[in-house]
Amino acid sequence: MRQLLSFLLLLFVSLCRASSSPSSPDAPDYHEQLVLRPLPLSSLLASFNFRTNITLSAFEAHNFRYFPRSLAQILQHAGTRELHLRFSLGRWDAESWGARPWDGAREGGTGVELWAWLEADTDQEADQKWRTLTNALSGLFCASLNFIDGTRTTRPVTSFQPEGNLPNSKLANTHLLYGVLPHEVVCTENLTPFLKLLPCKGKAGIATLLDGHKLFDASWQSMAIDVRPVCPADGECVLQMEQTIDMVLDIERSKRPRDNPIPRPPPGHELKCDTSKSYHSDDTCFPAEYNADQDWSISQIFGRTMKGTCPLADPSVPSVCLQIPDSRSVYTSDGTTENKNPDKLSRCFDITPSSDFELWLPLPSSPSAPEVVTPDTPLLYAERSFTGHGQERGGMQTILRNPSPTSPVEFIYMESLPWFMRIYLHTIQARIEGNASVPSSSLIHEVYYRPAVDRARATQLEVRMRIPPRSTVFLTYDFEKSILRYTEYPPDANRGFDVAAAVITILGEGRKRYALRTTSLLCSLPTPDFSMPYNVIIFTSTAIALAFGGMFNILVRRFVAADEGPEMTLTTVKGRLAGLAARLRGGRA
Amino acid sequence: MDGGKVTLGRTAGLYAGAAVLRLALFTLFPGLPELLTGRVEISTPVTSFKRLQEGLFLYNHNVSPYDGGVYHQAPLFLPLFSLLPSFASWPIFTYLLYIAVDLLGAAALGKIADSGEAGSSALFQSPRREKRWSGFVIAAVFLFNPFTIATCIGRSTSVFTTCAILHAIAKAVSGAPFSAMVALSFGAYLSMYPLLLLPPLLLLCYDRQRPERAMPSGLRFAATNVCVVVSVLGVLFPMSYLITGSWEFLPATYGVQLTLSDLTPNIGLWWYFFIEMFDSFRSFFLAVFWLHLSCYVGGLTIRIRRQPLVVLTLLLGIFAIFKPYPSISDSSLFLALVPLYRHVFPLMRYTFVIAAIIIYTTFLGPAFYHLWIYAGSGNANFFYAITLVWGLGQSLLVCDLTFAVLRDEWEVERPEMVGKEIRQI
Repeated sequence: MRQLLSFLLLLFVSLCRASSSPSSPDAPDYHEQLVLRPLPLSSLLASFNFRTNITLSAFEAHNFRYFPRSLAQILQHAGTRELHLRFSLGRWDAESWGARPWDGAREGGTGVELWAWLEADTDQEADQKWRTLTNALSGLFCASLNFIDGTRTTRPVTSFQPEGNLPNSKLANTHLLYGVLPHEVVCTENLTPFLKLLPCKGKAGIATLLDGHKLFDASWQSMAIDVRPVCPADGECVLQMEQTIDMVLDIERSKRPRDNPIPRPPPGHELKCDTSKSYHSDDTCFPAEYNADQDWSISQIFGRTMKGTCPLADPSVPSVCLQIPDSRSVYTSDGTTENKNPDKLSRCFDITPSSDFELWLPLPSSPSAPEVVTPDTPLLYAERSFTGHGQERGGMQTILRNPSPTSPVEFIYMESLPWFMRIYLHTIQARIEGNASVPSSSLIHEVYYRPAVDRARATQLEVRMRIPPRSTVFLTYDFEKSILRYTEYPPDANRGFDVAAAVITILGEGRKRYALRTTSLLCSLPTPDFSMPYNVIIFTSTAIALAFGGMFNILVRRFVAADEGPEMTLTTVKGRLAGLAARLRGGRA
Repeated sequence: MDGGKVTLGRTAGLYAGAAVLRLALFTLFPGLPELLTGRVEISTPVTSFKRLQEGLFLYNHNVSPYDGGVYHQAPLFLPLFSLLPSFASWPIFTYLLYIAVDLLGAAALGKIADSGEAGSSALFQSPRREKRWSGFVIAAVFLFNPFTIATCIGRSTSVFTTCAILHAIAKAVSGAPFSAMVALSFGAYLSMYPLLLLPPLLLLCYDRQRPERAMPSGLRFAATNVCVVVSVLGVLFPMSYLITGSWEFLPATYGVQLTLSDLTPNIGLWWYFFIEMFDSFRSFFLAVFWLHLSCYVGGLTIRIRRQPLVVLTLLLGIFAIFKPYPSISDSSLFLALVPLYRHVFPLMRYTFVIAAIIIYTTFLGPAFYHLWIYAGSGNANFFYAITLVWGLGQSLLVCDLTFAVLRDEWEVERPEMVGKEIRQI
C-alpha cells in the first residue's frame, strides 16, 4: 500500500514537472531583437534587446536554464527583488534625435547607475545587502561598483517606481536604494561580462554585432540590465531579465575602415558638393549638407556581418527590424524575407538561422522622398549647467522646456549630489519664461530634501514641478564647494569631480512614466598644495612654537636691569667650557 | 553735573553715528552684506549668516537643520530669527538686530573702560593709571573699527558671542557676579570657547565683589559661581533639545569645533594644517591643538593674578589666533580691549611692526585668496602664508602686551628702573 502510494506520488510529481516545463513551445523564455532606426544628421540608432524569463519557482529551485546563473545567485544572496543597472556614455541629442528610445526607461546617466529593491526588515540590513550586491556586481561586471558607498547612495522617495509586480505584502519591507558613479569610464571590460550573460554568449544572433570598438565609439550608448518579477493575469509569476543596449552611431565615423581609422581629407573626386551653388565648378566645392544621403550596410557600420540567429531564441520574434519609410528600398542577403509593417514606417526581417545576414540601405531613389522617419518631439527638454566662477561657490541652473503647445508637463526632478557640494536649499528658485500668466511661485509643488552629511551621506533632492505649455523654466540654486583633506582628492584633483546626472521622471497618464537624464557635470573644488604636508606641519608648528615660546619666556623669567644678574659673555662661556673639559679629564685620570 | 550731561550727549551721538553708518552701509550698498557674508575672513562655518539662513529654512520646513553638514550654530538662533520678520521680505529687522547687538557690546565696553579696572584692579595700582582713554574713546574705537563694521555688515553670528563676553566682563567689573556668569554661559552656549574664560572671570568677580554681600571664602565663591554657569547651561541645553527635538545639535555645533570636520579656509592656523595632516595623526594633533589653546588659561591666570582683566584680554587675543574657526570678529574683540591698556603702550616694544603686519595682512589676505580661488594664478600656499603672518603678528601683539603689563607691575617694586633698559633672565 505504502509503495503504491509513493509510486502514485512520484507519477504525480513527474506529471506536474512535464506540464510546467519551461521548454514547452507555448512558453518561450528567451527572445532577442535588434531595431535599427536612422536618425537625422547622419546618425543611426541601434537598439539591441535580449529578454529572458524564468518562473519564480524554477528560480527558487536553482533551475536557471537561460537565466544567467552568476547573476541569479547574486540576486538571491542579496535578497534583491528588482534590479536596474546602467552603463552609459555620451549625450542624447534631443534637439535633433527627438524622444528617447524606450521612453527613457532603459538609459542611465554618464557612468554607472544602479538601483534595486532589496528585501530587508531594517535600514541597516538593507545597507548590508546593498553592500553585498554592489561588491558582487562589481566583480561580475568589472566595474568599480564597490565604490558605491554611503556617500553615493540615496533612497529616492518619488522618482522611481518598481517596474515589476511586487506583491504589496512584500513591497512593505523592500527598500529602494540608488547609487551612481558618474566618474566611471564605461569600456570593453564591461561589455564582455554583459555578453557572457546571454544564452548565445555573443557567438550567434544579433549579439555578434556588438563590438567594443564600435559600441564605445558611439555618440551615445547605454547598456542596461533590468531584472523584475512579472506576474501575468493568468499563470505563474516569472522573473524577467532584460538586457538592452542602445547606441547612436555616427554613420560617417563608423564607415571609416578599421585598418585606416585616421580621418583624412577625401580626394577631390569624393567630395560631396552642393551643385546648386552659383559658384560651383570643377575646382570650387561647397560641401553638401552633412546629413544628406545616408547609405550604409551592417558590415560597414558594425564592422562585421550578423551570424545567423541564436538557436535558443524564440523564432516567432523577428531578429532585425528597420525603421525607415516604406518608400526606401533595402537589400538583404539571400534567404531573408522582408515583412513591412502596416504603419509604413518600419519593416522586419526573417533571417535564415545558419547563414550570415547582411543588410544594405542604398541612397533614396528620389531626392524628394523622406529619408528617415521623423523622430517624435520629446515631452520635455532639459539642460543643466553650473553658473558662477571661482572655486569657492557656484550655482546650478537647469533649463526645462515644455515644447508642447497645449498640455502641461508634470515631473519629478531628482539630484543626488556629492557631500562636498553644500547646497543652500533656501536659494532654490524656479523662474518661468514664455508664459506670464503663471506665477513662478506655483511651479514647484513639492520638495523632498535630505541634506548631505560630511563624509557620510550624499545630498538627495527631489522636486515635483509642473510646467505650463510652451514655456521654459529655469530652476536654480546655490551651493558651496568645500575643501577636502588632501588624501580625499583623486590623483587628478584639478580635473574636477563628476556630478551625477539629474534624473527627470515625467508623470504621464496613469502609471506611465517617461525618464530623461541631463548630462553629468564637472565641479572643480579648491585644492591644497599636495607637495606640502611636511612643510605645512613644520611652518604651522613653528608659528605656534614662536607664540608659545614667547609667552612662556615672558611669563616665567624674571625682570632685571640690563646691567644686573649674571652676564653671559664669550669669556664666561669659554671659562665654563674649560671647566667642563678639566672635569672630564680629571674624571678619566 | 554739566559735564555729565555733555558726556551723555556725546555718547548718544557716538552710538547714533555708529548706527547710522551701519544702516547706511546696509541700505546704500545692497550688494555689500552678501559680499561680506561670503568672505572667509568674516564668515566661518560656525558663524556664517548664509548657513544660518539655510538652517532657518530647514527648521521652518520641519527638516532637522542638524541632520546635515551645513548648519553648525546654536539651536537658540533658530527661534530667535524665526521670530523676526522674514529676512527675504524685511531685511531691515535683521539689520537693526545686528546694529543693536553691536551697540550693546560697545555700551558694555564703555562701562569696563570707565571703571578704570585696567589701570587699578583690587590688588594692583599701576603708577601710570592716570594716562587712560575714556569709555567714550574706547567705545568709539570699537564701533568704528573696520573689522567690527565688516563683521556687523557680514552678519556673522559671532557678534552675539562678542556681546555676551563684553557683558560678562562689564558685569564682573561692576560687582554683579551672577549676571556675569549668566552672560558667560550664554557666550559658551553660542560658541563654546568662552568657557575657557571662566577662571580669570571668577577671579575678577571675586576681586570686585560688593562689600555688602562679599563672600570671603574664595572656594565657596568659585563653587557658587561654577554652579551658576552649570545651571544656566543646564537650562539652555534642554531648551535646545526641546526646540530641535533631539540631541543631534551637540555633535553638529560643538563636535564640529572639536573635530574640525569642516575644513573651509579661514584666517586661523587649523584648516590648512588639518587638510595636509596625515590621517593617522589627525586625532593626536587635534588633541594637541586644543591642549595648546587651553594651556594658556592656567599659566596666565596664575602669573597675572593681580590683574584678571589683563588675563581676559590676553586670552581673547590668543583665542583669536588659535581657535579652530577664528575670524576677524574675534580679532575685533581683542583689539577693542587692547586700548584699555593705554597706560602701558609706552612700554610696548614692537608697536610699529605689529601695526604694519596687521595692515599688510589685511590687504594682502583678500588679494591672495582671490589669486588662489578666482584667478587661479596662485595656490593655497599664498593664502596660507598670509594666515601665518596674521597669526604671528597677533601673537606678537599678545606677547608684547604681556611684556608691557608685567614690566608695569615690576616697576612698582623697582621704581628706579623706569625708563631703563632691562632684560629677562
